[in-house]
Amino acid sequence: MIKAEPRSILNFLHTHFDVMRDLFALQSSDGLITKEAYDALIHRQGHTMNIRLREYRVVRSMGSDYEMRDVYFKLMEFLLFEFKPLLPETIEKYKTSIGDLFLKIRKYENQDRDILQERIKNLSHQVREFVDLVERNTFRLLAETRELKSNPERIDYREKVHKASFWIEYYILPLNRILDVKHSESVTSTIIDVSEYANRKRLDMMDETLRMEFEKLYAQLVQTNSDLLRQSKVLVNELLPLLERIRTESLILTGWIEFLRNPYKVETPPLLQGKRTMVYAKDMLFKVREFFEQFAQNEIITLEDGVVDFDKWIFDREHFKTNLAAQMPVNDFFGWCYKELKKDFSDIDTDKFFALCGLLFDEDIHLEFPKKAERVNLVTTTSKISLPKIKVEPALKID
Amino acid sequence: MVYPSNHRQIVEELMAGKFILANEEHFNALKENDKFYAEFFKVSFDLDLNIKSDYAFLLSKESQENFSRDVSIFIAILSYELDRDGRNFMEALEFNEFTLEEIDRYFDNSSFIDLIESNKALREPDARRTLINGMHRRNIVIKNFDDRFSFTQAYKVFVDFAKELAMKRMRHEEPSEA
Repeated sequence: MIKAEPRSILNFLHTHFDVMRDLFALQSSDGLITKEAYDALIHRQGHTMNIRLREYRVVRSMGSDYEMRDVYFKLMEFLLFEFKPLLPETIEKYKTSIGDLFLKIRKYENQDRDILQERIKNLSHQVREFVDLVERNTFRLLAETRELKSNPERIDYREKVHKASFWIEYYILPLNRILDVKHSESVTSTIIDVSEYANRKRLDMMDETLRMEFEKLYAQLVQTNSDLLRQSKVLVNELLPLLERIRTESLILTGWIEFLRNPYKVETPPLLQGKRTMVYAKDMLFKVREFFEQFAQNEIITLEDGVVDFDKWIFDREHFKTNLAAQMPVNDFFGWCYKELKKDFSDIDTDKFFALCGLLFDEDIHLEFPKKAERVNLVTTTSKISLPKIKVEPALKID
Repeated sequence: MVYPSNHRQIVEELMAGKFILANEEHFNALKENDKFYAEFFKVSFDLDLNIKSDYAFLLSKESQENFSRDVSIFIAILSYELDRDGRNFMEALEFNEFTLEEIDRYFDNSSFIDLIESNKALREPDARRTLINGMHRRNIVIKNFDDRFSFTQAYKVFVDFAKELAMKRMRHEEPSEA
């Protein structure tokens, strides 16, 4: 029993709120307050603090360690809005407690009025506790998820995947099952059954006090159903997609980091090798190759002097001019050319023949063309040539 | 025999290593005749056709393909840097438009600088532009202007690849942790 005045306790809490917060933080993180941590705190605050904490029943001994009493812990939880998410299994127990009370209310509705009234009040209390826990859990899960998203502690992506999966598997999905109206085993469906029953009884109960109790219960349950629906929507529409996205994103980033660790040792998506469309012809390569190949020299060619295989005859203009002058006048110039060459060669080359014919343009020679079409036929190595008979004689010199 | 509509376009684009996207007209012809095309490419070229709800492409038999590796590294680094920058990289890949200047900033300041500098398709801004042009030719990105682009649904091939890699790694690690 606490001897102190309630106001004194509240005053103490107000004055030493920081101490309360430290104790709450220690209890939250470790589940108890170790002797070392408690002693350090008392050392800082003075011995009176230890007396007050025990007098106001804020802490109690747990072996050599300490623990914050539940009522203060819950008060601090509420004041700081720092709830630990409860495992849905913990919340699910309300299905049994609400279900049992409901069963007894229905079964004994016509018996003792007082016990019926108490059961209705207890049922109402259980429902209130249930809704409160669901709300706190949803709130906490939302806060945890947002923290996971912003990741202030810079936990790595694989840890994020793990955490997101953990929240989904052990908290969100089970909690959603508890809240799922369509699920016959859910707590919400039980509450709806109670609500329908209370709706009937608030109208047809003979006893007015009981009618009023059912009326209150019904009003509470209508509000409860709407609250639970809202919580369920938060879970399904916000929390679950957010966690799924964190999980997917973190999974992808985990994969990328794994890949970037050694990108040349992992087989990447097998895309087909694209072929670039060039602005020039598709067979350009072959054409270019053919073009260059004609210049390619596969063997070395060496040119040597003295072994050149060609006729080295050079037209000696003066020699033939002298011969011609000695024989002029000549009636058939081309025939004369042919005979001159025949003296040296058995076969007459066309080139040699035409070279000799060049004398025709010499200024010292006068040409006389036949009046009749007389022609001479000559045969060279490559051609048969038909030429006119031209008479040549020395040109007259005018001084 | 009657060939599906846009047959030539479908074959030419897929054989050029291009992705055909769901918002393109010939995607429907491809999807409606998926069995025909799967058999057609298998029998004609021994290639597997991959049709998803958003895109379709031909799988190469060659696993050591540089382009695919370069694109994978590009998207990996970009995703990592976007996340580091506090941006939702999945949303960015899905909806955002990237400027080349922005890409250069992310790559030049990346902690993966050693990897970037060792890769000739990523190390210089010009090389990165060539890679982006290559992605544009394959329908992995759409160039909205000369200096900006956005990803098409084809990016999901690479994201799925990363996801698969992570899951493989995690599956591999789980037994040893237990």
